[in-house]
Amino acid sequence: MSEYHDYYKKIGFMCGLEIHQRLATAEKLFCKCPTNIIEMVEKEPMSAHRYQRAVAGEMGLVDVSAAFEQQKQKRFLYKIPNSYSCLVEIDEEPPHEMNREAFMIALSFAKAMEMRIVDEIQPMRKAVVDGSDPSAFQRTAMVGFDGKIKVNETVVNIPSMFLEEESCGIESGNSIETTYSLNRMGVPLVEIDTDPYIRSPKDAKEIALYIGTLMRISGFVQRGIGSVRQDVNVSIKDGARVEIKGLQEIESVDKFIDNEVKRQQELLKIRDQLKKSGASVTEIVDVTDVFTRTKAQIIRNQVDKKGVVMGFRLKGFKGFLGKEISEKRRLGTEISDYAKAANIKGIIHSDEDLLKYGITPNEVAQLSKKLSLGPNDAFIIVAGSQSDARNAAVLAKGRAEQAIISVPLETRGAVTDGTFTTRFLRPLPGGSRMYPETDARPILVTKDAVKEAESNSPNLEKEKAFLMKHVKNNDVVDQLIRSTRLQLFKSLMGDTSADPQFIANVILQKFTELKRYGFDVESISDERLVEMFDLYKNKRITKQAIDEILKSLAKMDQSVNEIVKKEHLERMTDLNLKKLIEKEKKEGKVSKEELRNRIMSKYRLNVDGSELNSLII
Amino acid sequence: MYSGEIGKKLKELGINPGDKIKVEYDNVEIEGELMPKTEFGSPDTIIVKLKNGYNVGIGFKNSRITKVSSGKGIPEFPKASMKPDPKLPKVSLIYTGGTIGSKIDYKTGGVEESKMSPEELLYIVPELSKIARIVIRNPFSIPSEEMSHSEWKTIANEVAKELNDGARGVVVTMGTDTMHYLSSALSFMLNNLNAPVVVTGAQRSSDRGSSDAFVNLICSVQIAAKSNIAEVGVCMHATSSDDQCHFIKGTKVRKMHSSRRDAFRPINDRAIAHVTKEGEIKYAENYSKISSKKTKLSAKTDFDSKIAIVKVFPGSDPTILDFYIDKGYDGFIIEATGLGHVPTNPSKKEYSWIPSIKKAIAKGAIVGITTQTLYGRVNPNVYTNLRIVSGTGAIYCEDMLPETAFVKLGWLLANYDKKKAKELLNKNLAGEINERINYDEFLL
Repeated sequence: MSEYHDYYKKIGFMCGLEIHQRLATAEKLFCKCPTNIIEMVEKEPMSAHRYQRAVAGEMGLVDVSAAFEQQKQKRFLYKIPNSYSCLVEIDEEPPHEMNREAFMIALSFAKAMEMRIVDEIQPMRKAVVDGSDPSAFQRTAMVGFDGKIKVNETVVNIPSMFLEEESCGIESGNSIETTYSLNRMGVPLVEIDTDPYIRSPKDAKEIALYIGTLMRISGFVQRGIGSVRQDVNVSIKDGARVEIKGLQEIESVDKFIDNEVKRQQELLKIRDQLKKSGASVTEIVDVTDVFTRTKAQIIRNQVDKKGVVMGFRLKGFKGFLGKEISEKRRLGTEISDYAKAANIKGIIHSDEDLLKYGITPNEVAQLSKKLSLGPNDAFIIVAGSQSDARNAAVLAKGRAEQAIISVPLETRGAVTDGTFTTRFLRPLPGGSRMYPETDARPILVTKDAVKEAESNSPNLEKEKAFLMKHVKNNDVVDQLIRSTRLQLFKSLMGDTSADPQFIANVILQKFTELKRYGFDVESISDERLVEMFDLYKNKRITKQAIDEILKSLAKMDQSVNEIVKKEHLERMTDLNLKKLIEKEKKEGKVSKEELRNRIMSKYRLNVDGSELNSLII
Repeated sequence: MYSGEIGKKLKELGINPGDKIKVEYDNVEIEGELMPKTEFGSPDTIIVKLKNGYNVGIGFKNSRITKVSSGKGIPEFPKASMKPDPKLPKVSLIYTGGTIGSKIDYKTGGVEESKMSPEELLYIVPELSKIARIVIRNPFSIPSEEMSHSEWKTIANEVAKELNDGARGVVVTMGTDTMHYLSSALSFMLNNLNAPVVVTGAQRSSDRGSSDAFVNLICSVQIAAKSNIAEVGVCMHATSSDDQCHFIKGTKVRKMHSSRRDAFRPINDRAIAHVTKEGEIKYAENYSKISSKKTKLSAKTDFDSKIAIVKVFPGSDPTILDFYIDKGYDGFIIEATGLGHVPTNPSKKEYSWIPSIKKAIAKGAIVGITTQTLYGRVNPNVYTNLRIVSGTGAIYCEDMLPETAFVKLGWLLANYDKKKAKELLNKNLAGEINERINYDEFLL
């Protein structure tokens, strides 16, 4: 491990986590809508569309990321389900009082991480103009600071924790319009930040797991896809802070971080070479006349619509735009991602196969002349409407210039193609996007509230000790602690007379085993499992039938009773079992062992093995 | 701002809001900027803006504060530097405050209305200067609930002056709560109107990225700069979406929701026009169009303020009218029930409104009857009790909105003699009465 850590120390690795976890409150943070969102109930929900613009924050400045989003001039369509939203979510009514349950959960988490709790919570607005909040800001409040946790004997500082509103879920989108659903808008969530001194990608993953587990054992959090998200901040020496947003799978956190490290290393290599060769980027030029008779469809379409083609020369860039910096991603891709913010489909650059676009060598020659290209130079062109093409070229040029300076400060999002790479979303926001939430009053944190929070705060050691008492196996305790079904386990333990070790065995090993065979056991609801264990407790089914029931539930949600009936899984009653033994005995004299095997081979699913043993003896 | 013990201590330390400070607190050190205090917060905390932009409240008693460096005080917001395009039509923007111009207020922590300067507002809506040559007038900045007829008067005079000085149209921005009173007042006060006069505002303050102010302003300026409408009207969101606004006759519009963007609805009428922010205007029929004749606009702004709106309700005490009469009131608009009922023969005799109405009329007051259903027309004939009410000499105000009737009566009494005022109350002067309510002019 130490060699591993030494490497990251050497490259000046810095990394911090922001963990967002949705809380399992009954109501949303600022209104009375339910949070247990199952699915879109209404087939055709109502909708409204809106535009947003960047406004100045409290300090009179417009945030750079907000300004960036606004220049996209996007239209936002909101689906409005009555079951899960009211006027508050769609920004047609001021917020109600902050949800007390969420506030108390947040305090209890803060206490679990030994934080100082602020004396007066100040609800703030964080400007977000990508449409994900109909109000154009996220309501958020800092709850605690200066905390710490201990992960694998290492102390990790937790400088801040926030209680905030969940944003809208994105349904679909293109360069003109994004569609959001208001379902989850306003569900309370906590954000827990670590300091930036996490030592390695693997440590980051461990810490994320630890924090996730700590919150989950409280029983106060939602689970399932999207209910917990990791944002990771990464930089290396000479690189820059880059925030990777919304990683939903903890298992791949370290891979994303490692790829970001490599990306920054590659960008720095390119930077060094470009610097050495005296690279520069020259002014943007209108090159439309080169393409007035072009057969390149992508340009043709724009020129026909009275659009323009803008281009610029990248001195000394030849070969660099095509350089791969992450799997399947080149410097050209990075630049293109910037340009796309201006409503265009992408850029065309000279390190690409231009014939593929239908751009002829003659057109390239004209372009070279127009842009005064030298043998080591590259070019970038963009086609679009007058304003889009110009804006896109400005953005692309800005990014290209950065390539000579350093790694740009960015917010990036995961690319969902299995490469664990990321793409540019927007510039990294700063503090200027914060503004007091004038519609909600500050909340004084009383001593009583802190005391109550303390008594409810999750404690990993205590939880482990409690589980150990029941399952008596360290490995099983560890697995349970990490399992999303921990709360279910605890409630089953109290509800059923089934042996805790047996329950743990079913929801851990059995689940893993079935998953391996391709059964979607994660989709089985807690309610169905309770139903199943109830039947088991009441001696209506055998242990062996549980396998079959789980398989059926994984295929389709249905009543367990019905499965039992349909698949003849009823446990044989004491009386019938006795009769069966007698009947089998009459068939011919056999040893007890043989008799047992004969019965079990015929009635494996219906006969309880230990009961049979006791009756045969 | 900080007062009491904290205020004293800060003064001693020479610390002002905006200064960078260090707070030592429970063995923790926090650095940040001291933010101004809001009155809603606890008197025992100071507000510190941390580097991450968050404000937190820190107990004052157990902490030690030191000044790190001086700040620049409360920041200024960016302002537009306008370069008017002489080729564009001139539109005067009369800015009077309200949510459309509000931003954070450190006195209360809430949104204080009317704090944003007009130039700050234009900075956020740069589109306006591409539609028209905007000239800003700012006679006062107050929230709309503080407005009375004296402000209506000032605004009417400003509008007349701007139009007579060559503006193609006028946009008046104000708080939304009493917007339909102002639009009614302007409708009666502006004689020979031959230009669009657009009243607008916002339901969400303009310091938020989702404010309706932007689209409302753009659409209003579009109407003022391009439409052929020669009427006073309100231009606000037609739906909850940011697509288009509707322009509703000033005497037929009412705020029908406390918070929605599309709160302003036409009552017993339809919108005169729908307008997109790109400037596409779809007109309905029946509205006054700009004529080629050059006319000088005059503002008849006198107003009799001794007018009251009185609402009847089950078990209501009619001596409220006597109270007003004793205070020298000249007229009442009664918000009656249904077709225009007031209690006439209740089980408790003293709750009949007939004697008090008769008394008020005998003392020379004018009594108008409107309906609290808002939609529909009052009718003095359908029921016996209605005939009893109209028999007192009370005037049935057709389908006029109670607020419009109130403004009209105050204006009539100040500009005509009593007899004429009474005669005109239920005659259409400024579109306030719709003689033919169409089937679909309900809940629009």
